[in-house]
Amino acid sequence: MISALAALLGAALTAAACYAAGAMLIDRLGITLRRFERVPLAFTLGAACLHLAIFAILTLQIAYWPVLTVLLLSVVASAVATGSWRLRGEPEEPLSLNLKRVCIPLFGIFTLLYFFHAWAPEISPDGSGYHLGYVARYLRAHGFERVTTDMYATLSEGIEMLFVPAFAIGKHSAGALVHLAFLAALALAMLAYGRRLGKHWVGAAAAFLTYASPVVGIDGSSAYNDVGVAAVVFSTFYWLEIWDATRQAGDLPHQRALVPIGLMAGYCYATKYTAFVMLLFALGFVAWRTRKLGRERLRSLATVFLFSSLMIVPWMLKDWIIVQNPIAPFGNAIFRNPYFHPIFEKEYSDDLRSYGVTDKRQLPLEVTIRGGKTQGLLGMTFLAAPLALLALRYRHGRRLLAAGLVLGAFYFANIGTRFLIPPLPFVSLAMALAIGSGPGTGPPLLAALMLFHAASSWPAEMHRYSDKFVWGLNHIMFNQALRLIPQEKYLRESDRDYGAARLVEARVPEGEVILGLRGVPYSYCNREILSTYQSALSQTLIDFINASIIEDYEPTVVESFKFPERSARRFRVLQTATVSDANAQWSVHELRFFDRGMEIPRRPEWRLQAWTNPWEVQLAFDNSLATRWRTWETVKPGDYLDVDFGGDQQVDEVRLDTSPDYYEIRLQVEALDSSGKWVLLARDPKAVLADRGNYSLRRAATYEINARGIHYLLTGDDDFRADDIRDDPEAWGLTEVASGDGIRIYKVAQ
Amino acid sequence: MPAPYAPPEQRQPFENFAPYRIHRIVNMADGDAEKHFVRDIGGLAGTWRWTGKHPEVRVFLRTNQMLRYVIDFTIVEATFKDTGPVTLSFFVNGHLLDKATYTAPGSRHFEAPVPEEWVEAGKEATVGAEIDKVWVSPADHAALGFILTAIGLRQK
Repeated sequence: MISALAALLGAALTAAACYAAGAMLIDRLGITLRRFERVPLAFTLGAACLHLAIFAILTLQIAYWPVLTVLLLSVVASAVATGSWRLRGEPEEPLSLNLKRVCIPLFGIFTLLYFFHAWAPEISPDGSGYHLGYVARYLRAHGFERVTTDMYATLSEGIEMLFVPAFAIGKHSAGALVHLAFLAALALAMLAYGRRLGKHWVGAAAAFLTYASPVVGIDGSSAYNDVGVAAVVFSTFYWLEIWDATRQAGDLPHQRALVPIGLMAGYCYATKYTAFVMLLFALGFVAWRTRKLGRERLRSLATVFLFSSLMIVPWMLKDWIIVQNPIAPFGNAIFRNPYFHPIFEKEYSDDLRSYGVTDKRQLPLEVTIRGGKTQGLLGMTFLAAPLALLALRYRHGRRLLAAGLVLGAFYFANIGTRFLIPPLPFVSLAMALAIGSGPGTGPPLLAALMLFHAASSWPAEMHRYSDKFVWGLNHIMFNQALRLIPQEKYLRESDRDYGAARLVEARVPEGEVILGLRGVPYSYCNREILSTYQSALSQTLIDFINASIIEDYEPTVVESFKFPERSARRFRVLQTATVSDANAQWSVHELRFFDRGMEIPRRPEWRLQAWTNPWEVQLAFDNSLATRWRTWETVKPGDYLDVDFGGDQQVDEVRLDTSPDYYEIRLQVEALDSSGKWVLLARDPKAVLADRGNYSLRRAATYEINARGIHYLLTGDDDFRADDIRDDPEAWGLTEVASGDGIRIYKVAQ
Repeated sequence: MPAPYAPPEQRQPFENFAPYRIHRIVNMADGDAEKHFVRDIGGLAGTWRWTGKHPEVRVFLRTNQMLRYVIDFTIVEATFKDTGPVTLSFFVNGHLLDKATYTAPGSRHFEAPVPEEWVEAGKEATVGAEIDKVWVSPADHAALGFILTAIGLRQK
């Protein structure tokens, strides 16, 4: 029970500090908001500011819970002392009794569902994984750590920064409750937007369409960030509307409204990279609305840009300093670095574009009523989303749809249903505007729409028409939230991965790094797991394992280039073909030089270079067939392996130990002559099958893993490699130390 | 572009080269051991479990080449006092592989080659043992066979 109360306290204090910080800034800027919009807009604006303060605390390595608690309390106390805490603003026309009669029970019942889910122990996959995993890790370290082995550590974490103080006080559930506060802010902002337009029913109905959407419910009541992103994005749009309205009215403080616009637009990037488009939307909107104003236009754009930079630059700098790439984990072919392979981006993007949905014409049904493949559903009501186009009749409808379109522009890069959450408020408002703007008929139609949406989105009904295994809520989790069912018992019974995380922590000594053929929810596990595709290092190490059991990856081919004896200081193998398959890589297990039938021994004065992937060139020169240098991106003409012998060396043959998993590649051997020109020596090598009968690639693979300081291997029971390892751990040089909860843990032999 | 690298330490071939051989032995202490149980195996006590008359497990085999039946078990002195010598029959996929009679209590190991045609590669196989005499507890009438530590198949 104490942990439940601590979670509430942590979340409440964080949410209060967000509101307080935003309210103080709004008052400081002298912007007068309407009373109803002050709370949600102050909350999201304050979240932006507070996230920077927490970023600074983590950078300074002083993230102790007293420091974080004092930060939250001092922000709230300052707001109380300055009077900003009070709900002030222009009074508004009250909501009608009928609207209240519909809204209070509908919002109330869904709020109960969400609140108890958020308050219950966290079991969401990404929430208990990286969203809270890094929060927990930073708190253990009292600041940012230099993580180069996990792409998730490089993503901007604007919402997660707010989980930090909440987690420090109330652990996992506090993070989820903070995210739920963003959902509340989003709904309130949409409601307020409708009131600003003078269309109370439109705002209320749209807010409910978004609020009760099943994917919004599960996401917003978990420690994810998509709903937070949606709240931040919508607030940015809202601030643009406020600025435009005050500008048209000739109000003096309208220029000051550009400050929150800039901050919020920048915060969009800080919450999720793809929300960066909202900054473009904001700049475009301001440019359009000031198109006749000359210098004021430039000043307005500069203000937005400058304040947005305050939010964006820290995240770019962090990534630049840690992984040499300001937009990591993307753009690795531009900002080349040893931590992420360019091919990872391609494979990752391919996965996110697919989700197993082969016929994209099925997507409207998949994201509205099925949800099994794209992991969640918007709800049956959104089958009527095309009605939103009728809102094009109205100026505000056009603006809403423009924002929704901009935010949805990246959807096909990741077709998971939750990636529709940021544009969803705009679509909901446009739908409600289209349906509910008719004189007299609007409110009844919207009330009926809300009732239908409530009925079809309530878990019991939603599961009737959705796919069987869909990411969604099931029931009100009163007992779990109040810990009447003990937290440990609930977590173990409802989340097998939790058991796996605890097993890892119990059986792997502290400080040890684990190579994982699968991951575990690391917010529950104080061990570093190098997992699957998440970094260049993990991909390379897992490639050692793959190359020892996947026939096409094994070094079964020897390619030999023979030529008249040549004396030169530098030789290289050059790839010259343009390939049609974007997945084609070039790989070399070993590159050897011969003279008169004798291999030239490798000497310390040799200097090795490669392009691409120069950082792993030594893998082709370590005399281990378990390791291989690969381009790790689509092979291109001009890729090479280059050896400088340190002095002239006679060579008449070059051999490559390689695998048959590449094709379309054409290689040639060249020598650098005395004039500095590369001279062709041989092409079209003779390829023969290698005799590897008495060589244990499996043992050699784990030897290499151990040589890199990694002493444990984690496998999942549903992995084909796990079967091979389990069938003969000894041949792999492994000893099983634990099994259960779908995983096995092995110790790697010294 | 990093500076050119020197050649790294040169790896040498392993002297204790161990050829790859498949093991599908269910150790009673395994976290997922119960997933393999078919019948007559009781709860965990340390690293072993009591069996009934005919304990049996299910294992997945990717090959049927050069397989051997393996079982580690204990004839318990307390039950042996009442049952006297016992005979165990060993089965793979319902085929009787062999029988052995034990005239004294103690820890035992039994293994024997399995004919290829009894097992289909890529499918599950059942592996079991049957004791001819069980000991019946006077207190709760539970029928106890022997203590099982590990059972399964492995490649020679």
